Amino acid sequence: MASSSGDKGTRNLLIAMVVFIVAVGVIFSFISSRSDSTAAIPAAVSESDGYGIVLNPTSTPTIDVYIDYQCPACRVFEIINGGYLNEVIAQKKAKVVYHPMTFIGPESILAANAAACAADEGEFVDMNLALFQNQPQGENSGKWQSEYFVALGKSIGINSNTFEQCVNDGKYVNWTGNVAAASAKADVNGTPTIKINGKALDRNTEYGDLGKFRAALAAGGVK
Amino acid sequence: MRAKFGTYQPWITLLARLTLGGVLLVAGALKVGNLQKSAMAVRAYELLPTAIANFLGYVLPWLEIGLGLLLILGVAVSISGLFGAIIMFAFIIAIAQAWARGLSIDCGCFGGGGPIDPDETKYLSEIIRDIGLLGVGIFLYYFPKGRFALDK
Repeated sequence: MASSSGDKGTRNLLIAMVVFIVAVGVIFSFISSRSDSTAAIPAAVSESDGYGIVLNPTSTPTIDVYIDYQCPACRVFEIINGGYLNEVIAQKKAKVVYHPMTFIGPESILAANAAACAADEGEFVDMNLALFQNQPQGENSGKWQSEYFVALGKSIGINSNTFEQCVNDGKYVNWTGNVAAASAKADVNGTPTIKINGKALDRNTEYGDLGKFRAALAAGGVK
Repeated sequence: MRAKFGTYQPWITLLARLTLGGVLLVAGALKVGNLQKSAMAVRAYELLPTAIANFLGYVLPWLEIGLGLLLILGVAVSISGLFGAIIMFAFIIAIAQAWARGLSIDCGCFGGGGPIDPDETKYLSEIIRDIGLLGVGIFLYYFPKGRFALDK
């Protein structure tokens, strides 16, 4: 009898422990997925634009670009359509908002931080392109660390100390959590996702073909 | 025949517990490390309102871990088996509706998830696997008493 009540005690204790683990895990998950209002944000970032990096804030229409710097499909998108998109930016034909998402992991966070640091230097577009051109094989390969991004910045002409410090300090690392939270709220299910005036382009046809991409932007009001 | 089943049943229950519990524990553990991705995988089913999909993306991995632990330890086996079966039923519905609507997504069952190439989808094998696990959960609901369990 004694042993059977001992078993019951063990059993209840184990149930309590499992419930505790689940509860703590869930609470931790919610806290860590919330946006951090104290995070440092780059000058070009606007909270009302989902914490994205905004280029040409006064132009219309609005193009939202959701990418992860480690995502191979985003690299392909940049190679196919990046040139045209950069032309749209340079000629102020649209307000373009970049949302660097970081669900692939730690090196996506460091890359997004470096892109934000470059935005502060007014060099976001070049850095964005350079990151995709130098995307490592495989996720979180160990190649994308602070020294790498400092050198990458130099290769496109960013030599300032503020940039170097920004990269080394991971100044905007917490901001990437805000981008992630806002992108989750905006129902972005994968990368790349391109929206024009809030409406997503067709993933299966309009990302892999420059002609169709241009047509989709034109239909959204890019002249 | 009946006597024979009586002899083997505790061992079948043990095997069932380790199978369903092991799959749930691994599936949950692979997802808790990247909850951004987990929430994204749930959103990609385009079934639930965004806020609820995100909520589920954060909660589900922990529930899977909890159920997996209970089944492996052999605690509250009947109710855990039932919950496991209910979860599997929900997964089957979610995957089947994605398939029927022509979405191209990875189920995100063991991490991953989100849109993939249409010719890379594996809906049929995902559904067959989950039907098998649903059966295991139902078996545990009816035959919870097995070897090496804390439940007596």
